Amino acid sequence: MALKGLDIFKLSPKKNCKECGSPTCMAFCMKVAQGAISIDKCPYFSDDAKAMLNEQTAPPMKTITVGSGHKLGGETVLFRHEKTLVSKNLYAVSVCSCMSDAELDAALADMQKVDYVRIGERMYVEFLYCNYAGNGVDKYTALVSKAAATGRSLILNCTDVDAAKAALELCKDGKPILNGATPENYAQMSELAVSAAVTLGVHAPNLSELYDTVKKLEAAGNKNLVLDVTGATAKETLANAVLVRRTALKDGDRSFGYPSIVNVGAIAPGDSRLQTAYAAMFTERYASIIVMEQMTYAEALPLYGLRQNIFTDPQKPMKVESKIYPINGADENSPCVMTVDFALTYFLVSGELERSGCPVNLIITDASGMSVLTAWAAGKFSSTTVKKTFETLDIENKIKSRTLIIPGKVAVMKGEIQEKLPGWNVVVGTTEAVQIPKYMRDKEYEAAAKAAAAEAAAKAASAPKEEVKELSFDELLATKVPKIEVVDMGVQYKGHNPESKTFVTIGERIHCISPSIRKAMDERDPAPILKRAAEQIAAGATYLDVNIGPAEKDGPERMMWAVKLLQENFNNVPLALDTANKKAIEAGIKVYNRTNGKPIVNSADAGSRIENINLAAANDAICIALCSADGIAKDNEERMKHCHDMLERGLSLGMTSDDLWFDPLFLVVKGMQDKQMDVLNAIKLFADEGLKSTGGLSNNSNGAPKTLRPIMDSALVAMAMMQGLTSAIVNPCDLRLMETIKSCDIFKNHVLYSDSYLEL
Amino acid sequence: MSFTPKTQHYSGKINAVTLGTGDKAIVLGGQSVLPFYTFDGEIENAPKIGVEISDAASEWAVPGLTAFYAGCTTMADYAKRAETIPGADFLCLHFESADPNGANRSVEDCVADAKAVAEAVSMPIVIMGCKNMEKDGQLFSKISEALQGRNILVLSAKSEDYKTVGASVALAYGQKVGAETADDINLAKQLNIMLKGLTVPAGSICMNVGTAAVGYGYEYVASTLDRVRAAALAQSDADLQMPIVSPVSTDTWTVKESTASAEDEPAWGDMEERGIDMEVATAAANLTGGADAVILRHPASIATVKKFITELV
Repeated sequence: MALKGLDIFKLSPKKNCKECGSPTCMAFCMKVAQGAISIDKCPYFSDDAKAMLNEQTAPPMKTITVGSGHKLGGETVLFRHEKTLVSKNLYAVSVCSCMSDAELDAALADMQKVDYVRIGERMYVEFLYCNYAGNGVDKYTALVSKAAATGRSLILNCTDVDAAKAALELCKDGKPILNGATPENYAQMSELAVSAAVTLGVHAPNLSELYDTVKKLEAAGNKNLVLDVTGATAKETLANAVLVRRTALKDGDRSFGYPSIVNVGAIAPGDSRLQTAYAAMFTERYASIIVMEQMTYAEALPLYGLRQNIFTDPQKPMKVESKIYPINGADENSPCVMTVDFALTYFLVSGELERSGCPVNLIITDASGMSVLTAWAAGKFSSTTVKKTFETLDIENKIKSRTLIIPGKVAVMKGEIQEKLPGWNVVVGTTEAVQIPKYMRDKEYEAAAKAAAAEAAAKAASAPKEEVKELSFDELLATKVPKIEVVDMGVQYKGHNPESKTFVTIGERIHCISPSIRKAMDERDPAPILKRAAEQIAAGATYLDVNIGPAEKDGPERMMWAVKLLQENFNNVPLALDTANKKAIEAGIKVYNRTNGKPIVNSADAGSRIENINLAAANDAICIALCSADGIAKDNEERMKHCHDMLERGLSLGMTSDDLWFDPLFLVVKGMQDKQMDVLNAIKLFADEGLKSTGGLSNNSNGAPKTLRPIMDSALVAMAMMQGLTSAIVNPCDLRLMETIKSCDIFKNHVLYSDSYLEL
Repeated sequence: MSFTPKTQHYSGKINAVTLGTGDKAIVLGGQSVLPFYTFDGEIENAPKIGVEISDAASEWAVPGLTAFYAGCTTMADYAKRAETIPGADFLCLHFESADPNGANRSVEDCVADAKAVAEAVSMPIVIMGCKNMEKDGQLFSKISEALQGRNILVLSAKSEDYKTVGASVALAYGQKVGAETADDINLAKQLNIMLKGLTVPAGSICMNVGTAAVGYGYEYVASTLDRVRAAALAQSDADLQMPIVSPVSTDTWTVKESTASAEDEPAWGDMEERGIDMEVATAAANLTGGADAVILRHPASIATVKKFITELV
């Protein structure tokens, strides 16, 4: 729970002495609440008040590390869609001092059978829950030493002080949980746990007594706790688990802010299926450790699968490992199918391939967990990344077949991949996964592979080997860039003063995702590109974005042509250069005219594209800096961390802060409605630091009906400009949006009002 | 200071929708607290369990199912047997063989099956189509007509065909209609608004807001359920207060965990046990998230899920 400025103000000395540098105590407290200034700057805050504030700003639920480094707790939300859940629930299998040697050996052996990897995560039983049946300390130590020998972390379920002490002697270095404190024995047990430096588990007959016991333990200084919330029935246990978590996170009562243990074996003894059902429920509702009587594959497969789903960060895609997955008994002679590492894509494609019954090698390429088209557009699924995957996985030597089937959605990559992988026959597969079984069974790819082979052979025969010599930009300009003809489009770019404070619109309509623009770029056909440029300039765009696609092969000459074409036709209109190909951006800047403003590099991020800041710095360009690394930032703390990382890099390379335009990453309302205010608040945080900002604003209304989009976009731009947004990547042909922006510039006093302000 | 739990009261309430007629009629929904949150308030109607029977049931390669339905040949035989399963509340007739890209059974044959079942059993009936939109449109209309007065639920209308399905099933023949969307809360709300726009009463609509077997993108299902329930209860959003029916078995019995033989996956152990646990875990996860009814296949899963529900309400 974030502390409000006013709450801090109540504790402040209220002297308004200005010694902290702030004009009033109120102003100072507001800054403290935002985390902009440390409370220690005030010499007059009492120590008690400071301690109270520290207590209140502590996280609502403790993160406790137990056993061999297992993290429990640390949650900040009740539901994963609110942000993300951070610590997956772990599993324990129970063993008991009442078991015979044979029973115990069998239980331990069975427990160890489940140990496998699913989407990069090891699935196994993390804990052994060692129950003391009160049948003698020797029996218990024998149990614990056998359990410890498996190497798994231990939970000592033992309320007997002597037995617990003896057991701890054996295993305390392994950081077990001593699940033994009760309202009666808590003082002795706590002493034992503290002296052995282990986490103490607390049980009580009801929540009220549990709460009191925790309070007493906390008063004695022990906050290294977990709460065993198992009740007499499933119903009571669910109530306990929910109320404990809700009290901590929603009501901010930290005495229940500890991880929890739920023993489903105890509430459904002997019924493994019912235990599975309960375990599924407690995965979603707040158990940190679930104790089962057994864990065979029948329980593990669904439960670990569910856990992996529930504890996926909703803002980070689930990825599978990049490797060769042989399907239906494929061997080195089976054809290869390639797709991206987005987990859902993998499951869909591998499932359909299995259904086809045909042996095939599924090659998963690293695409940062994006889907096929998104990865392509972002340059994460390209002929270069494919070639890299082939090298990393040593496919050339591991597979003898030379047929490679690529997704139908990226048919455009066929030629480029063919060139990068000589000897391979690249075939375009289906656009949808459901078409795969028929496609594979009909062996459509065989004919296509032959055709590809013939084509390659013909090419090799006809064309003499091209010199693989890299041309300089000047040479490219002279030989590969067609001469620009200036055409009168009836539109004049009015010019732009880079010092002006007015909102900067970057027109987004020249984008390779549009088939007509893609074709025009491929064929160097000026007409469609000039037409869209003219429309946007007439509508009042300040900058034009030029997206030439991933453009792996001919990026530099493409970009040089596009830059010259647009600037020579439209009075040196300033441009944002938008491609994953760095050389292309460099080439574009080489021919760029700066009369109306510096070029913009679109874009860098705090992850794999951070190098684009260096590119912008080296070429005295503006850089759009996306405040995300891999995936969407989970909160503004993370956004600001990325922002500051990029700012620091830019400044260290000699850029001025005005040349970094921070993009909070506008999110789509349909899907992330509850995150919209976060984005708007991030803009305010940028503005408060005097930073400029921009972003693909219209992303908010993606998927909404055409009639609604201008309304949503206009409302959002007004709110965002109020927060301090200085620029946006927009469709300038949206009249409502452009009129809203012009009106906001009036209210912000950036432009002097006149009755004709809309026409200016 | 001792601990007094704070209860969470909501102004919203899930619609109570009745399926079937007579003694065996059931009510779905009616809750005004989160699933199984008995400490916040009373659970008005416990979630219900439907038994899936299919016109392709003879292809089910699970020994326990084959044994249970031994001697059954017609869909009516299967339905009568299914009605005896302890814990079953309703029957779901799945006409997968109607698919034009599969066995392409005629609409007439399917209607005859549905009529025979309706005569043989008294439990409420839910109809599931073959996922071919054109064929389902005809099938839903004809079955709704033939079973008029039985107050059946038809799964389902989608945003592409809600007009025809909604008009025939709910308006012409007075049956209940399911509104199906895939893990998209905005679309779920929109589809309910559209159905209401056709003058389908809110009380005649159930929802399927998306399904998946656990482990297979189930996070989208879980979050959609959480968000739908939050909107229905906390925001009192009347366009999301329809009860939720989750078809579980159709997803869980097709994944590798349930279909790989013990020879293919020697470490995994008995195939049927895996299938049951897959069905049980997925059903429990759906019920925890907000499903007011689940549709299951295996008698052992039904027994377990029934116990699960009984223990929790």
